[in-house]
Amino acid sequence: MQTTPVPQASSAAPLPLGANNRGGKYLIFHLGAEEFGTEVLKVREIMGMQDITAIPQVPAYVKGVINLRGKVVPVIDLRLKFSMDAQEYTARTCIIVMRTCSSGQELTVGMIVDGVVEVLNLGTSDIEDTPDFGPGVDIPYLIGMAKTKGKVKILLDIDQVLASDELDRFVGTLQ
Amino acid sequence: MLDLAANVDPALLTDRIDELTTRLILDGVARLGPPDFERLAQTAAELGNGPLADGAQRIGKSLAAASTLSVPDLTRLVSSGLVELRNLLDGPAAVALPVAIPSPTYASKPPEGAGPALPRNDSLAADEGLIREFITESSEHLAGIESQMLTLERDNSGADTLNSIFRGFHTIKGLAGFLEFEEIRSLAHEVETLLDLARTSQFAVSPAVVDVVLESTDVLRRELAAIAQRLAGSTPPPTQVNEALLDRVRQAASGKTGGKSSGPVPCPSVEEAVSIAPVHEPAIEDRRIGDSSSVRIATAKLDQLMDMVGEMVIAQTLIGHSPALESISDALLQRNLSQLARITADVQRIATGMRMVPIGLQFRKTARVVRDLARRAGKQVIFEASGEDTELDKTIAEELSDPLLHMVRNSIDHGIESPQERVALGKDPTARIRVSACHQSGQVVVAISDDGRGLDREKILAKAHKNGLIQHGAQLTDNDIFLLIFEPGFSTADTVTDISGRGVGMDVVRRHVQKLRGRIDIQSTTGEGTTFSIKLPLTLAIIEGLVVLVGAQRYIVPIASVREMFRPTQEMLSTVHDRGEMAMVRGCLMPIVRLHRRFAIEPRTTRLTEGTLIVAESEGRPFCLFVDSLIGKQQVVIKALGERFKSVVGVAGCTILGDGRVGLILDADGIYKWRA
Repeated sequence: MQTTPVPQASSAAPLPLGANNRGGKYLIFHLGAEEFGTEVLKVREIMGMQDITAIPQVPAYVKGVINLRGKVVPVIDLRLKFSMDAQEYTARTCIIVMRTCSSGQELTVGMIVDGVVEVLNLGTSDIEDTPDFGPGVDIPYLIGMAKTKGKVKILLDIDQVLASDELDRFVGTLQ
Repeated sequence: MLDLAANVDPALLTDRIDELTTRLILDGVARLGPPDFERLAQTAAELGNGPLADGAQRIGKSLAAASTLSVPDLTRLVSSGLVELRNLLDGPAAVALPVAIPSPTYASKPPEGAGPALPRNDSLAADEGLIREFITESSEHLAGIESQMLTLERDNSGADTLNSIFRGFHTIKGLAGFLEFEEIRSLAHEVETLLDLARTSQFAVSPAVVDVVLESTDVLRRELAAIAQRLAGSTPPPTQVNEALLDRVRQAASGKTGGKSSGPVPCPSVEEAVSIAPVHEPAIEDRRIGDSSSVRIATAKLDQLMDMVGEMVIAQTLIGHSPALESISDALLQRNLSQLARITADVQRIATGMRMVPIGLQFRKTARVVRDLARRAGKQVIFEASGEDTELDKTIAEELSDPLLHMVRNSIDHGIESPQERVALGKDPTARIRVSACHQSGQVVVAISDDGRGLDREKILAKAHKNGLIQHGAQLTDNDIFLLIFEPGFSTADTVTDISGRGVGMDVVRRHVQKLRGRIDIQSTTGEGTTFSIKLPLTLAIIEGLVVLVGAQRYIVPIASVREMFRPTQEMLSTVHDRGEMAMVRGCLMPIVRLHRRFAIEPRTTRLTEGTLIVAESEGRPFCLFVDSLIGKQQVVIKALGERFKSVVGVAGCTILGDGRVGLILDADGIYKWRA
């Protein structure tokens, strides 16, 4: 398994993402044709696909757990999480291990994406608010949209995406 | 105090001073504390060397008062003090110590002009480290005192024991006085006076004296707890050292034991023992050395270390079995690789062993309870412990103390007959409760046995029938029947004493033991006694498990919950309404649970005759777990699956398997009960 530790400025605490404060470095990855961005500061490492141990009684998008140097880390399939079609994993498929914060607890979670594209430095002016998709379409985990090189990047608030609440609620109903 | 000058062994003191000097050089001044000098002073005092005792006391005091001095200054202070102590010992004409501090007020000024004057601060925070050390050390002394008192009660000719108890109280008194805990000091002082009288054979140690000394240790322990509470910032309960208690101690000292049954018994052997009073007590010495060479580590750090060691072992295995390496026939490389494998295994063993503690401390607690309960119940009981050095995981050792207490209480309350009854039965009026621990094939076996009346098989059976715990005609072994006393339904009945009484709190015992992944077995012979054997894993961090395969997934079934396994033949299988599957094993029908259905995974085979059935247990009821195949038996390190998956049913945790992948550890109970 090849892993690429991402250099981190540990002293620089991630800034809260308000409307005025969205600029910074983003790791861009893609799911099919759509490109997404997530804050680089929250990325712990990027690793190739590996064997995942399945866990029973969890939603389909939770693929299971992996061993990250002695730590057991849950892995989710971002395609399934976003209700996109499942796809065969390829050599480009990788797991982005994120350090997230949900309800005050630090969580390390891996997410499976189709491939990593690049790291982009986005200024505040590059980022636009999410357009209103009309009633019935509520996507709470979007920070905004970035348009560079003629392509739209969807910026994700990864804490919201990976928040364990949803999973907890699901598992809670099993009891 | 006795004049023991004639018995002074100067070599002992020289050794002690030399030892301190060595430690100062090797470990640095930070590892030496006032208690070290307290002990030296105490030894000197016992040996009748007053000047040296005073000198050591003074060094200790100045060391404590000068806690903010720089390390070089402190080192100079201590080393010059030690040199002076040596001089004092070598030549009686030696001059006063330069570090001598004539009065406590002077103690606030570091000697030798080494730094600014430090105001003596009485607040706990100022001496927190010192006080914590005091609490730890005193607690150890109290634990030692307690067990020694019990020895003494049994055999009060033990002058060494008495001396050692005396020394324990003396140390506590000294330290408490030094740290200005007046209540502890005064109580310890009174007890010390009492013990001194006993030591000088003014009277023998009667049970009443033991009572009052034990009571004092309890009170002292509570005082220590209160200090700890104060350190933690909360308000402790008011002190329990009052005049009434002090009076009781004094009364015991004056021989007026409040009309307790057994009065003072003359004890001639104490007399001769006094002359050997200042013997060098090896046990105390050992413990002290142990103190200075042990470190407290946060369990989180240990867990982290275990994680990394686990990873190292995996990495080592992967390298060792790498096909690329196997094609190389370089002898040196092979040798180095096997060397690496050996070292890795050693590191793993040591890392695992770091969590281990001897079980002796739990036994000592039990001894105390046995004594108190037996006295209260009016029974004569001797408590014997063996295998105190047997090591097991700290968590397990601590969890074990409750079951132990419940079991000895049951033995004393119900198992052991009254002395009269025992005499009538032709038995020794004094009963024995034996507690032992030993390692047995990778497990710790703790056995508690008494020579009481034993369990009554027939009465237990009758009772179980009545309560509907068993069906009529059930084939039960003796062990099965005895185990019924652990059923919760069994202990609630008020007539438990009718069936040899076992049962009170016994379901608690079983719950505790099960929580520790242990097993209980009972052997009992009517009229001769009962033995409970608790089999426990060495550690909670590692379990022995069967690695099984279902589809592409590997699971670990803890071996503790496995009875047997087999590949079924068609004749063994039957169904109810075409759905409920069952297997007949030696005349026993057991339901079959298919793991692939429970966990919704694609198996390699759905035909029962092509897979393996594992007979597991859920609260004593057997069932068969159907899996594809068995890979092998393995010891695995248990890891938590994490908060996220805490409500997943049927999975107890996970582990990192030999190839670095995660394997889930199954919870047989959960799988059986979770009917999807």
